Amino acid sequence: MRKGAIVTMVVIGAIVGAVVACIAVFVDWLPEQASEEREGIDFVFWLTTWICVGIFTVVASLIIYSVMKFRTSPDDDADGLPIHGHTGLEVVWTAVPFILVTVISVASGVVLARNQDAGNNPLRVRVTAQQFAWSFRYPNGRESPVLRMPLGRSTELRLHARDVLHSFWVPQFGQKQDAVPGIETRLVVTPKKLGRFPVICTELCGLGHAVMRSRAIVMRPAAFRRWLARARANR
Amino acid sequence: MTTTEQAHHTQAPPAVPPAGARRLIFGAGWIRAAWMSALFAGIGIGIVTGIRALAGWEPVWDWQPIMTVAFLTAAPIGYLVGIGCFDYWLYYISGRPTRAEDHSSHGAHSWRDYFRVNTDHKVIGVQYVTTTIIFMLAGGLLAMFFRAELARPGMQFIDPQTYNGLVSVHASLMIFLFIIPAFAGLANYVLPLMIGAPDMAFPRLNALSFWMLPVAGVIMLSSFVVPGGAFAAGWTNYAPLADVNPDGNIFFQMAVQWAGASSIATALNFLVTIITMRAPGMTFWRMPLLVWANFTTSLLVVVATPFIAGSQFFLLFDRVAGTDFFRPDGGGYVLGYQHIFWFYSHPAVYIMMLPGFGIVSEVIAVMSRKPIFGYRLMALSLMAILVLGFSVWAHHMFVSGMATWLRVPMMITTLLIAVPTGIKVFSWCATLWEGRLHFTTPMLWALGFVSMFVIGGLSGIYLGAVPIDIHVSDTYFVVAHIHYVLVGGSLFTIMAGIYYWFPKMTGRMYDERLGKLHFWTTFITFNLTFFPMHWIGVQGMPRRVSDYVPEFANWNFFISIASFALGASFVIFIYNMVVSWARGPIAEANPWRALTLEWQVSSPPPIFNFDEIPQVVGNPYEYGVPGARHAVLNGGGARTEELEEVRAH
Repeated sequence: MRKGAIVTMVVIGAIVGAVVACIAVFVDWLPEQASEEREGIDFVFWLTTWICVGIFTVVASLIIYSVMKFRTSPDDDADGLPIHGHTGLEVVWTAVPFILVTVISVASGVVLARNQDAGNNPLRVRVTAQQFAWSFRYPNGRESPVLRMPLGRSTELRLHARDVLHSFWVPQFGQKQDAVPGIETRLVVTPKKLGRFPVICTELCGLGHAVMRSRAIVMRPAAFRRWLARARANR
Repeated sequence: MTTTEQAHHTQAPPAVPPAGARRLIFGAGWIRAAWMSALFAGIGIGIVTGIRALAGWEPVWDWQPIMTVAFLTAAPIGYLVGIGCFDYWLYYISGRPTRAEDHSSHGAHSWRDYFRVNTDHKVIGVQYVTTTIIFMLAGGLLAMFFRAELARPGMQFIDPQTYNGLVSVHASLMIFLFIIPAFAGLANYVLPLMIGAPDMAFPRLNALSFWMLPVAGVIMLSSFVVPGGAFAAGWTNYAPLADVNPDGNIFFQMAVQWAGASSIATALNFLVTIITMRAPGMTFWRMPLLVWANFTTSLLVVVATPFIAGSQFFLLFDRVAGTDFFRPDGGGYVLGYQHIFWFYSHPAVYIMMLPGFGIVSEVIAVMSRKPIFGYRLMALSLMAILVLGFSVWAHHMFVSGMATWLRVPMMITTLLIAVPTGIKVFSWCATLWEGRLHFTTPMLWALGFVSMFVIGGLSGIYLGAVPIDIHVSDTYFVVAHIHYVLVGGSLFTIMAGIYYWFPKMTGRMYDERLGKLHFWTTFITFNLTFFPMHWIGVQGMPRRVSDYVPEFANWNFFISIASFALGASFVIFIYNMVVSWARGPIAEANPWRALTLEWQVSSPPPIFNFDEIPQVVGNPYEYGVPGARHAVLNGGGARTEELEEVRAH
């Protein structure tokens, strides 16, 4: 390859890479981070994003360069250079993606194991989903239509469904789990930010699916304890 | 008329047709199809009510079994018998004289022949492609209806039942009636030509496969007129929502059976054709990549499609016959449905992708005037995708509540598929290198495909990584991903194929300027429609919702407007196809100067494809190799003189 071609390639690559990297960095991709689980999720997200930015830049630059460099007029009858393959190149583009996906797999596996771990003192909340409402029951028997959680303590949700499939999701927590009729499913969330977040049903569950929403309210531990105790007194 | 054709006609004159009204009513055709559908529906009603009356089941007149048996099973069979799909076999069974070399229903002599049962793979190919385009337009219109609803938060035009119905039927039509059969149609036309065969191995089965397709499409669409509404559980039709859905759900369950049967029959036909009917010299390692792609796709179809048939039959029995396969109250296993469903529906993703890989390989090699880079690795990576494709189904179920340990192995196999897919993308790019690129319309679609498929493939990596998938599962991020792979991937390759083979199929050339205009408008509006969906999905918008929070109002408005423009861009396509087919300039036999066999015969090809059996002497993509030839034909071909020269050496 001539020197000029390499320079052109590098320039195209730099421009494409810069544009794609800007899209990755300057668009506010992820919602507010409000749980410890999200730290791992965001890490895998950005790891994957940078790998994808690299791969996309390479492929897009190759195509753009070829389109600019090798185009010909419609009445050109000549053929291109008969290159049938290149074993070295083929080994490289088999091996490199293999290594990259292995990296993503390992990172994902570690994060997944961590995000499933509720620690030794989780707050257990029984979640019941039905068309089209959520209900949360606490260990002391208190039931609530909104999910209240103490800050910094792992909450282990035990999900049940009365009728059809539903799915529990709080975008700011990054955790999601289907509620399945007939079995119990499980999800761990460790809130790290005070505030109110939407609880969204993400599994099509019928006519009211779009409005099957609730709230998750993260409280200071002391306030949460008072709320739970008051709730008991009210019963 | 060629000599062979004449020979066949003199050998086997068509049977003396019964005269006049009798022929009109009892001869194969639309009138017989109409009354036989009604007759069979009546027989179906008789069977159901008869059995119920004898068994003493109340009520005797029960709509669900009547709908299933009479209208969705018996009536379509009546229509198939009436239209003439079974004529030959029924003659044979009943001992009436049949002719082994009966070609009376072979080839199209006027436009009317396209509306009859025809055993010519070229006619069937055109029938397939036009039918699937009609269903694509229908599916696209449904999408524009619900995009209109989504343009603003709140409910505007339609109620949630209609909304869910539109979403479900849109997906089902696009998957089962457009993408999968459109590929089958294109391959039906070109595959026998490419391997130097006179037709498919089982021409009558081929005709039957096609005629089952409109049945599936009409059933899907007519679910809107069922009392209670269309099937509205999404195209995945998850239990137990499917059980509490309106009766339109039965229409999905049965339409899938018809589309699936059609798909399986075609796949068997392709397999036998490829294995047994290759021209002399056409070894596996000399087959064009389109043939390789359809070989692997057909293996996928034959093994996987029975699983979706099973899953829908079980659901149907749960609803109509009172079984408990997936009903938790009766001890059924809800997640079992998802496992069986995805054991088909993940390989189905590759059924919708591999034939496109084949088309793009043809187009890029020809338009770059270069051999395909790494031909053998390209073929082997198809086989790798085939094998890996069966080991990844549960990646659709990372949040479903299945055994948690299953997630990591499924993630690893899922991400590994990126390796053979990457090989293909890099090889296409390398094929461009040092080529002489001709930016014809098919080439634009092929390159558009490569760039969009890279985006779709990379968003697939996010979805394969379990922690990210848990966050974005069932959101608009998934909607963006599937449209980048199924529109930017499958639809773009179908368009590349249609433009590429249009001169071969019709004998006329399409309008190149309109073709390019169609590409650019579709390419731009496609990206405007689907790229923002990545963002709103990650931010928190779930899929399949008829209403959403005001936070996403602006983007949804933007997406809706872009989607209308995307729909409008297909007006250019339809105009170009219709006008060019009727009045376009006559096409040469080989306008692209391609080496593969389908271009070595006239456009459109003679009725039995080749006047003499071609002799394959080399690889299919030897562009730029001095003196290299793929095949030697004796007569009729476009390169006869050149080939004469070669043979003289």
